[in-house]
Amino acid sequence: MSVETRQSPPTFRMPAGFNGLLPALILIVLFFVVPVLALLLRSVTEPEPGLQNYAALLGDGTYARVFFNTFLVASVVTIVTVLVAFPVAWMLAIMPSALASIVFGVIILSMWTNLLTRTYAWMVLLQRTGVINRTLMAAGIIDQPLPLINNLTGVTIGMVYIMLPFMILPLVGTLRAIDPMTLRAAALCGASPFQAFRRILLPLSLPGVAAGGLMVFVMSLGYFVTPALLGGTSNMMLAEMIAQMIQSLLNWGLGSAAAFILLVVTMALYALQLRLVGARRMSGGI
Amino acid sequence: MKLIITGALARLLATTLLATTLLAATAAKAEDMVFTSWGGTTQEAQTKSWAEPFTAASGIKVMQDGPTDYGKLKAMVDSGSVNWDVVDVEMDFAIKAAKDGLLEPIDFTAVPKADLDPRFTTDHAVGSFYYSFVLAWNKGAVSGEPAGWADMFDLKKFPGKRTFYKWSAPGVIEIALLADGVPADKLYPLDLDRAFKKLDTIKSDIVWWGGGAESQQLIASGEATLGQLWNGRVFALEKDGADVGVSWNQNLTAADVLVVPKGAKNKDAAMKFLAAASSPAGQAKFAEASGYAPINTKAKAEMPADAVKALPDAHVDGQINLDMNYWAEHRDEIATRWYAWQAK
Repeated sequence: MSVETRQSPPTFRMPAGFNGLLPALILIVLFFVVPVLALLLRSVTEPEPGLQNYAALLGDGTYARVFFNTFLVASVVTIVTVLVAFPVAWMLAIMPSALASIVFGVIILSMWTNLLTRTYAWMVLLQRTGVINRTLMAAGIIDQPLPLINNLTGVTIGMVYIMLPFMILPLVGTLRAIDPMTLRAAALCGASPFQAFRRILLPLSLPGVAAGGLMVFVMSLGYFVTPALLGGTSNMMLAEMIAQMIQSLLNWGLGSAAAFILLVVTMALYALQLRLVGARRMSGGI
Repeated sequence: MKLIITGALARLLATTLLATTLLAATAAKAEDMVFTSWGGTTQEAQTKSWAEPFTAASGIKVMQDGPTDYGKLKAMVDSGSVNWDVVDVEMDFAIKAAKDGLLEPIDFTAVPKADLDPRFTTDHAVGSFYYSFVLAWNKGAVSGEPAGWADMFDLKKFPGKRTFYKWSAPGVIEIALLADGVPADKLYPLDLDRAFKKLDTIKSDIVWWGGGAESQQLIASGEATLGQLWNGRVFALEKDGADVGVSWNQNLTAADVLVVPKGAKNKDAAMKFLAAASSPAGQAKFAEASGYAPINTKAKAEMPADAVKALPDAHVDGQINLDMNYWAEHRDEIATRWYAWQAK
């Protein structure tokens, strides 16, 4: 240790706490910034220097449709996730803490199970000869199997299930910070439960909804395994198209360009969200 | 204190780097090698028929990896860090990859060439096996017997989902054209417009399979009532007692070949492995285990008679050879249209 302590003090002063950030910073630069730059380079140099990869992507109807699909799926998944997660998060926020920690445990446990295993489990449940269709048909509720897989329905079900924890966790934090007395006050002033929800609970919980929603949306944009297994080719998402370009067509230039466009769009969305909601509120500090 | 942490971190990083280098170095020792194939029942048969006897005879350890991924193969060659020594690939890819400089030439002083089927041997590849696309169906879900590819497009006679190979590769385009009445000897050059038009008629009833195990699952469960499958996968289903039917009418042959990626670290071991895999004994054992046809002309003599009956060679009547050279030539152009059509 004596070697370090004898070093002369640095002439340039880093902001306080910078050294603590260093490990994370090194990791991000090495394993994120450098590869992204390499990707960008490939997208404008392969097969020859120029912007032809971007021109091909932006000027082609097929690719436009895949981009549209990607945003459609991500939007549907985000909206459904918010709708399902909100009541769960509210229950967790007002539950006795011993019970809440058990429910939390169940939610976290699902995140620890292998993603592929969970997606295959959905295949078994959703397919035409799967558990859900067989049960409904045996009960006489339907006489033709419902198309639950290889389409938007299958992708939405599978992805909402995977995204739920990412929505519930930030939302519980926000909801717990809301003073329950405000709702009681609303009721005392004659507000109906719905009015209390719409005018008190919902506005106060928006930062949590926005933070969770953005996370779910951004993660959904780049999702690969679940859409590939539960979706059909006609609602293909960008990640799967990139995989095709790279694995089957060996067209790294085009694949890199598509990946880079996705990255830029995602970052633009994030910046927009920061402006709209404000960085401080996004991070949960109200 | 902070400085100490940084110092410790630097040492940790250095140790990790060193450890990774050491691991990489020991991953494949001088005479060991890595074989990569498609997983599932096929790679199991390759391990048992080729790798295990080869290791016993030569002392060279063969590590199994997979599944084959053309993007990964190209990335390895491009970056100069090739971890695969022998790779099982589709033949049209091998022809294209050799042109693109991704493959080592085969050393035919180490690999005896005389008995290899010339259809599946090139300067940069020796055959792995050849197979047929056949029409298979779930007997419980289908009434009657589908007789040929045209029945895949007949939703009235054979309702339900049908499953086809998802990736752009020889097979589905030809099936659509044959079903539409194109004679076998007039298939090439492929009329893509006509093929896609035919495929459009059943598009919403197609479930795509991306790998062999998936195709087996789809047919065995009845999720798809009928489909285009690799004959070896149907063979494995039958062996497991699944209730499947198969039609060899107009079965379409294509081949897998074994290649050595450019810059492979254990080239000598790789060539020795190729010699063993393509030998009459290696080919006979694999064919018996998998139901795929041997590419060594002397192999069938070493096989039991009933195993020979399960091979595509037993169904040469009406058999059609998919044109690998045509596909190698037009691979990119067909693939671009294929994926655009799928995404529609």
